Amino acid sequence: MMTDLQNKIRENLKTVYDPELNINVVDLGLIYDIDIPEPRTAKILMTLTTPGCPLHDSIVSGIKYCVQGMEEIEHADVQLTWEPAWTPDRMTADGKKLLQGF
Amino acid sequence: MIEMVQQSSGNETNSKLPFSFILFSMVALISSQVLILLNGDMLITGTFRLPAIWSAAHLFVLGWALMVAMGAMYQLVPVAFLATIWSEKFGFWQFAVTALGIVTFATALYLRPQDALIPGMITLTGILMFLVQMFMTLRSQAKPNILTLFVGSALFSLLLTITLGITLVISMKTGFASEYYQAFFKTHILLGTVGWFSLLIFGFSYKMVPMFSLAHGFTMKPAVYVYIFYLTGVILMVASFFTGTHLLEILGTFMLLAGFLTFTWHVKKMIDKRVKRKLDRPFMFALFAISCGAVIHLTAFIASGLSLLSKTAGPILFLYLIAWIAFSIIGYLYKIVPFLWWTHKYSKEIGKKQVPALKDMMDEKLAIPLFILFTVGTVLIILSFFVQLMPIFYIAQCLILLAVILFSYVIAKVLTI
Repeated sequence: MMTDLQNKIRENLKTVYDPELNINVVDLGLIYDIDIPEPRTAKILMTLTTPGCPLHDSIVSGIKYCVQGMEEIEHADVQLTWEPAWTPDRMTADGKKLLQGF
Repeated sequence: MIEMVQQSSGNETNSKLPFSFILFSMVALISSQVLILLNGDMLITGTFRLPAIWSAAHLFVLGWALMVAMGAMYQLVPVAFLATIWSEKFGFWQFAVTALGIVTFATALYLRPQDALIPGMITLTGILMFLVQMFMTLRSQAKPNILTLFVGSALFSLLLTITLGITLVISMKTGFASEYYQAFFKTHILLGTVGWFSLLIFGFSYKMVPMFSLAHGFTMKPAVYVYIFYLTGVILMVASFFTGTHLLEILGTFMLLAGFLTFTWHVKKMIDKRVKRKLDRPFMFALFAISCGAVIHLTAFIASGLSLLSKTAGPILFLYLIAWIAFSIIGYLYKIVPFLWWTHKYSKEIGKKQVPALKDMMDEKLAIPLFILFTVGTVLIILSFFVQLMPIFYIAQCLILLAVILFSYVIAKVLTI
């Protein structure tokens, strides 16, 4: 179960867009896990659609800035993983609609 | 509280470096097209090897295409191969030396070709510096893959191309190895186009096609066959230049065709597996360039079979440079430049405020007229070669020059966003 804070972080992350696809990182299915290991600290586990994405650094730091910009969070730790690899099934219905038009 | 520590893999290149190359390249592109326009009367009568045409060809191939490729590689190699550029400072020096070399080389070729040796050596030094930079960078790559093989072989072809180019200048000056001059000349052209540019475009297409179409779950196995077929084709062609054996030339053009068709089919398979339904226009133009390349390879093979390759080599090479290499570069540049500028301007803003999407940064409305101008201009140029009518040539070259200026405008406009 996601707590209110985890949900709020997730909602906030919907403002971070992949500039090439023009879809936010949540609907694209890049966010694997949001954890609050201690008060005012967030730990984000995420992936990218492909290793060697040219927007690698920008998206990762964008997520960090976004979460750290929240009042409730002082420190955000963003970890990138390739396991399990991203697949199109991870996109939300909204994400699929934006990319595929249905 | 925002902590100003960027958690970064440190792979991004200082944008000023690739931009220096790209801006230089646009000036060289316009200059080369003006030179061709002013010397068209020689060109359509089949006199390709004239100082002014040499100058324009090198401005186009070295000043534009090579400089663009270098600039793009400074940006793409770190991200595609997860390796940091060995030395950015060395990169700026490499840019300065290469730019100086190309400007003086093109000028010497135009005014006094026999004095092209020293400018040629400066260009050679610049390109060698680039090769050192890439060798040191790719060496740090953790896991080499098939892309490394394509890009590595392309870089090796570039090394051979410039070595042969310098040998040609020495041969012309001193008569050294003059009996092989023709074979060296043909090999120089073949390795510079088919070896360097095509292998490089193949390699990066394997990264960019899935990225721009968000293709997923495709196989990379055919890439090995593309590599083997194409490389065999290159070797057979070089063998045919040195032995004068027609059968080797037919087999060579056949293997190049086989490699290119395998690549075309492989790209189609990737596109079929895409998640992104609607592909954007510049990317479609890069895909169109692949179709053009397939037709050009087929034409070369048929021409070779009919013993007509030596007669048609000029127009075929011209088409290869424009409709395959230049169209690919233009299509991808349309995507790369906004990305570079976006990274430069917005990579520190993302997550803090709303930032533009990449497609908002390049004028897509101008893409279709621009691509039509390039295509119609190229078709008319080829027509003018066959019917040898100057008015058609001038109309065609004016269309291409207009397209080039419009393209430079579109690129420059990105930098104002």
